[in-house]
Amino acid sequence: MEINISKQDGGITLVELKGRLDTPSSQDVSNTLSPVVENAKGTIILDCTELEYISSSGLRIFLTIRKAAAAQGGKVIVRNISSDIRSVFMMTGFLNLFEIQ
Amino acid sequence: MLLVLVAALTLEATALLQYFYSRDGIRGEAKARAESELKATQNRIMDIVDQTEAAVRNSMWIAQWCLLMPDNLQKVAQRIVEDNPVVVGSTVALVPGYLRRRPLYAPYVFRGKDSLEFKTLATTEYDYPSKEWFIKPLETGRGYWSEPYIDHGGGDILMVTYSMPLKDKDGCFAAVITADISLDWLTELVGNIKVYPNAFSMVVSREGRILVCPAESLVMKSTIHEVVRTMDDTASLSALNRAMLAGESGSLRVKEKGVSSEVFFSPVERTGWSLSVVIPDNEIYSGIRRIGLMVTVLQIVGLLLIVLLLYLVITNMLRNQKLSSQKERIEGELKIASDIQMSMVPKIFPPFPERKDIDMSATIVPAKEVGGDLYDFYIRDEKLFFCVGDVSGKGIPASLVMAVTRSLFRTLSAHEASPQRIITSMNDSMSETNESNMFVTFFCGVLDMKTGHMRYCNAGHNAPVMLTDHISFLPVEPNLPLGVMPGAHFREQEIDFKYDDAIFLYTDGLTEAENAQHELFGEERMKAALNGRRSADDHMENMKAKVAEFVGDAPQSDDLTLLFIHYLNEKAPERRERHLILHNDIQQIPQLAEFIEKISEEKHLGQSLAMSLNLALEEAVTNVILYAYPEGSDGLVDIEALVRDKELEFIISDSGTPFDPTAAPEADITLGVDERKIGGLGIFLVRNIMDSVSYERKDGKNILSMPKNI
Repeated sequence: MEINISKQDGGITLVELKGRLDTPSSQDVSNTLSPVVENAKGTIILDCTELEYISSSGLRIFLTIRKAAAAQGGKVIVRNISSDIRSVFMMTGFLNLFEIQ
Repeated sequence: MLLVLVAALTLEATALLQYFYSRDGIRGEAKARAESELKATQNRIMDIVDQTEAAVRNSMWIAQWCLLMPDNLQKVAQRIVEDNPVVVGSTVALVPGYLRRRPLYAPYVFRGKDSLEFKTLATTEYDYPSKEWFIKPLETGRGYWSEPYIDHGGGDILMVTYSMPLKDKDGCFAAVITADISLDWLTELVGNIKVYPNAFSMVVSREGRILVCPAESLVMKSTIHEVVRTMDDTASLSALNRAMLAGESGSLRVKEKGVSSEVFFSPVERTGWSLSVVIPDNEIYSGIRRIGLMVTVLQIVGLLLIVLLLYLVITNMLRNQKLSSQKERIEGELKIASDIQMSMVPKIFPPFPERKDIDMSATIVPAKEVGGDLYDFYIRDEKLFFCVGDVSGKGIPASLVMAVTRSLFRTLSAHEASPQRIITSMNDSMSETNESNMFVTFFCGVLDMKTGHMRYCNAGHNAPVMLTDHISFLPVEPNLPLGVMPGAHFREQEIDFKYDDAIFLYTDGLTEAENAQHELFGEERMKAALNGRRSADDHMENMKAKVAEFVGDAPQSDDLTLLFIHYLNEKAPERRERHLILHNDIQQIPQLAEFIEKISEEKHLGQSLAMSLNLALEEAVTNVILYAYPEGSDGLVDIEALVRDKELEFIISDSGTPFDPTAAPEADITLGVDERKIGGLGIFLVRNIMDSVSYERKDGKNILSMPKNI
């Protein structure tokens, strides 16, 4: 699992998720993204172009970020999810929680 | 003993019969011998009698002639003596008054000590004309034999005189010519009659005087009448006496002083003597006694031999009887042992008549009454536990080890479904106490009836045959047999049964069945015999028939055991993919992806479905890893994927603390961001992805089954 966090203009934080976000990798991803969670006032774009797989632990990270943004007045955009992941999102009601681009 | 008695009696009777018949024969023979001796003696006597008579007769014409010159008459007498050795004395005694010149004239010539001597009998003392020997011939006109007498003149010898009248040319009696003969030769002759050693002979004169007899004191002193009077058996002896004196011949029995004798008698013609031979019975029958004695001795020896023989035969019979009764007892016990042994193995076929998913049959044919082969099977928790084993050796020792092996199998498989662990425990138990150094080749299989998945472990046994779309040996690890080495490691293997697959197990009694040419039945014949669709029972019968046909009359050399299992679960998975075992470590989760990928490739599931399945599996396994085992403890998660035609099923099991993920609260996806709980998504995903999720706690295990139509 590879994570790239980049600050972009307009207080946008771009998080690029590459590979499989399964249970073992969630731990690291969770640690890596803790700064993002702590500072979730702006817009956080979770780019899922190269996200191959996500499990419930990955979804929990998404939800954690979403909750932090909501608490801090930020915004979370999930970009470019694959149809398979989309169906997982649908299944879990995440489609309603996130702004999907 | 009765037998001996009967034999003895028979022998005795035969001997007696023979004895009496022999007695008659012997008596006859004795008679013949006596008679022939008598006849011979008689002939000898008659010889002398004839010689004497001839000597006198031949002198007649000279004497007649000499009557004219009486002085020559002495010469006549002298010739008679000279010319005839038997004659000891002779005279020509003139009838008194025949010659006027010599009124009495009787010149006597006799043998003196050295030469002939002469004297005249015409003395007044002797008065020859009054003597019987002189009177009798003249009275009868014939020759006359005198009574024997003792001649006192010539040295007290026993004599007898033959006298014959001499007529002159005119036919008038002129003289009597005599010839005296000594009876010494008679004594000698008669004494020589030795019919039997203790037999004796007698000669009695016309008047009953004893002439010859062994008791010399009686000779000429006694008459037979006097002797008879002193004896006990007067009646018989008198009769004998009369017969003898009457000149008869024959035989008579007399008994004197307790001694029975046979007296044979015969007259001597002309002299009036009676010649007799007295033979005591014990002499006659001494031969037969001797024979009888020998027969008796032989009988005793024979009887002893019979007794010995009977003893040997009887003791042998008794021993045989004892042996055979021992043998019967052992055979009876072996039969019981065989029954007990056979009762240990299931032998009612079909064993599970209510089940349609299995057809099986088994058979054991021990080479002896009891054998060292075994098979066993039973179903527990929808798993068929089965085994086939072959104890080294045959007979009772092997059967005992077989019984132990079978008990261990039942005991250890009661709570354990892993063939590897069953076999390891069995081996440890058997190795510890294996003092007889017997070992057991053993195959243990556990077939999941639902899935067709078989786990198996082979401890040095012959590789079973798998019957799928082709016939091949089941791959087996080269493990040691049971009982060889304590602590030995055994590797478990697995295979999946599809519907209609079958497995055939056997002992080397099958492949190594020998025919008369010492050829082995072998694996190829075995595989060939398995060709063709048959029921399990028919496979058994067919295989047994094929072996019997091959072996022919050769004796069965080893126990023969066959076990055939036909898996007929139509719902059985077509094929089972990986069987994955993970440690309770989150880091092992990625292996699930590979696991799913392989299934996906096989079943062409497509990426989306593969991912969903991966997700569901991950969630389920993660639950186990996180919640089933206390933190820091080691544990395994067993993941099976059952692939059927249109269905895929995951079965996840673990031996951790009871944990039912389906009972956990589910996420409520209708809630908004604020209300949404972080957890609860896992089981929610599983439920949504899979068609159903069911949990059960069994054998200390958490088992989660999750099927999915594909």
